[in-house]
Amino acid sequence: MQVFNAFMKVMKKKIFIAFIYIFVFVFVAIAMTFTDNNVSQFEQVSLKVCVFDEDDSPESHALCSFIGNDNELVTLENDRDVIMDALYYERADYVLTINNGYAEKLASGDTDGVFVSMKMHDSYSTVYMGQMLNEYVSTVSAFLAGGNDVMDAVSRAEEVLSKEAEVNIASFVSRSDPDVNTNTVFFFRFLPYIILGAVMSTLCPVLLVLGRKDIRYRTNCSGIHQSTYTIQIFAASAVYIIGIWLVFMIVGLIINGGTYSGIAWLAVLNSFVFSLFAAMLTIFVVEFEPPATMVNIITQVVSLGMCFLCGVFVEQPLLGDGVLAVARFLPTYWYIRVNRMIEGSETFDMNTVVLALSIEFGCAAVMALLAALVRKSKYTGKSAVPV
Amino acid sequence: MAAVKKESGCKLMKNTVVKITDLVKRYGDLVALDHLDIGISEGEVFGLLGPNGSGKTTTINCLLSLLAFDKGEIEIFGKKMNPTAYDIKKDIGIIMQNVAVFDELTVYENIDYFCGLYITDKVQRKQYVNEAVQFVGLEDFLKFRPKKLSGGLLRRLNIACGIAHKPKLIILDEPTVAVDPQSRNRILEGIEELNRGGTTVIYTSHYMEEVEQICTRIAIMDKGHKIAEGTKDELKRMIRNTETVTIEIIGLTEEVKAKIAGLPHVYQTNFDGTKLTVCCSGGKHNLIRILGVLQENELSFGRVYSELPTLNDVFLEITGKALRDKGE
Ligand SMILES: Nc1ncnc2c1ncn2[C@@H]1O[C@H](COP(=O)(O)OP(=O)(O)OP(=O)(O)O)[C@@H](O)[C@H]1O
Ligand SMILES: [Mg+2]
Repeated sequence: MQVFNAFMKVMKKKIFIAFIYIFVFVFVAIAMTFTDNNVSQFEQVSLKVCVFDEDDSPESHALCSFIGNDNELVTLENDRDVIMDALYYERADYVLTINNGYAEKLASGDTDGVFVSMKMHDSYSTVYMGQMLNEYVSTVSAFLAGGNDVMDAVSRAEEVLSKEAEVNIASFVSRSDPDVNTNTVFFFRFLPYIILGAVMSTLCPVLLVLGRKDIRYRTNCSGIHQSTYTIQIFAASAVYIIGIWLVFMIVGLIINGGTYSGIAWLAVLNSFVFSLFAAMLTIFVVEFEPPATMVNIITQVVSLGMCFLCGVFVEQPLLGDGVLAVARFLPTYWYIRVNRMIEGSETFDMNTVVLALSIEFGCAAVMALLAALVRKSKYTGKSAVPV
Repeated sequence: MAAVKKESGCKLMKNTVVKITDLVKRYGDLVALDHLDIGISEGEVFGLLGPNGSGKTTTINCLLSLLAFDKGEIEIFGKKMNPTAYDIKKDIGIIMQNVAVFDELTVYENIDYFCGLYITDKVQRKQYVNEAVQFVGLEDFLKFRPKKLSGGLLRRLNIACGIAHKPKLIILDEPTVAVDPQSRNRILEGIEELNRGGTTVIYTSHYMEEVEQICTRIAIMDKGHKIAEGTKDELKRMIRNTETVTIEIIGLTEEVKAKIAGLPHVYQTNFDGTKLTVCCSGGKHNLIRILGVLQENELSFGRVYSELPTLNDVFLEITGKALRDKGE
């Protein structure tokens, strides 16, 4: 237990820094949970929209009323300065000018330049608005081309779009499962990033101390079996990350309203297996003896890179097929798959869950194995002796 | 540390502790160890003396199976050494030139950790650690972190970490480099004390004075070769030189110099304008005879001294170069 104890003693000397890190990560986790949650509800937030209808046709009137459904229509004097002022002082968020000839263009299926928009800055909601307007005109023109009359085309387009919006929203916000609330879902979604960061940035320094070349030299000269040493390092790291993981589970517990039940336990299990992976990955990285000053950079690259690639920050369906093909080899991808099932963004399938957890666990095992192999290869040879 | 009192030295041929046979180690084209043979008996303080880069550390690393070698065989305690020969390793203690301890642990925790890599029994370990602390005299610094220790104390800690488990064989690789004379003496005394307790010691250095002071047997190395081996007296007997006489003198003529060179036992004279160096081989009254020649020729002289041969002379005579660079 000598190595295990030394690990804990060194850890104790570094625990203060580790606590700061973990505290920061808990804070970030909470912040991410709640802000992103709001962002996804932004779509439903209504904008103050001013429409200048220069076409003045039934089609343009229909568009006005479509916009008015979910947004507040405001009127402004059609003067550049007045409009700029209104945008600046947020009396209007979005100014739309429907150009003359809108109806004709719609009928001919040419939807380019049918209107002009002005906004102060790109926000999630104004971009969404722009997208929706484009979609609207192309849908209406499609229905018109299909032989529907104006009112028909408009009402069917509205119908289609409102359905799409529902789907859109559903993919961002949790299903109405009583076991997990929306915040918990968000918390668990960002957890891979947080756990990778927290584990790597606090475990690396301790392992680097124990693996320092001159100390390793002494250790290798000693009577301790190499496997005993390695097992103790693994065990100590595992104990440590279980500690970190528990901290985050308690935070999750609080976010979820004080209990875990039903499918929430799957999220807990999923994050546990992932934490194991994070620990083993850290041990593996440390075997390459990165300079202490590089640890933070490596942590950032690994955690951000993996999380972007695997759909922590961007919904998996929005990622390119190429990206997903690569991501499939990373445990974070499978973690997110499980999480998406918990969210209800994907249909729940026990087989996939088992597969995902096995892959995550397998990745942890592979990391552990590789780390042990690298360590073994350094037992003799140039890297075994101090310069 | 004096649990097992044994006679020091190797007057009696005891068990062989280390046997290196025909060891060859190459680094690419560089032959770091060239067919090296070394045998070390129980109870010896064996010195490996050689200039920088002569292969001392490489020998130690091969001995410990930390470096794979190209040819040869190594036996320790009569068993073949290999990287997983833990039963051999547990009886070896190492002390390297560089201090290798945890900055994060206290003096006591450091010794306890390294001792614990060998000794698992807690009670016994506690006793051993305390003995090691006393041995190096760090009682007052148990709770200190290494960063707070002076250079000399740090060395002592380094030594304590290497010997706490009471190894039968202790290997020290230049433990006194960059150490002040006082700490150096303490370290050397400590090694002698361990040896009196029955421990076999391998000591590498490029300081001949140290090696002469503590080693019972010495191997001189150069460029991966063992160029000579024996006790210091044996080594000195290997060479012609028995005495070097140096005289400060001005105005020595070639004629007088030739007279001195013609004296019995004198085999080399050298005059650099202020100092006359005369190398003698055998004979008893070399100095008196030389001074006699100077007086006959009415030459006055300043300081006069006579030196017995050193290991440096041995090295010089065998290799034609000095063991250490001037000024070191
Ligand atoms: N890892 C290495 N790669 C290549 N050459 C090496 C390596 N280690 C040592 N050498 C070379 O092998 C030779 C012997 O080196 P070694 O360190 O054994 O000498 P040493 O006697 O311990 O010297 P010092 O007194 O400087 O410690 C030197 O010429 C050195 O340059
Ligand atoms: Mg050396």
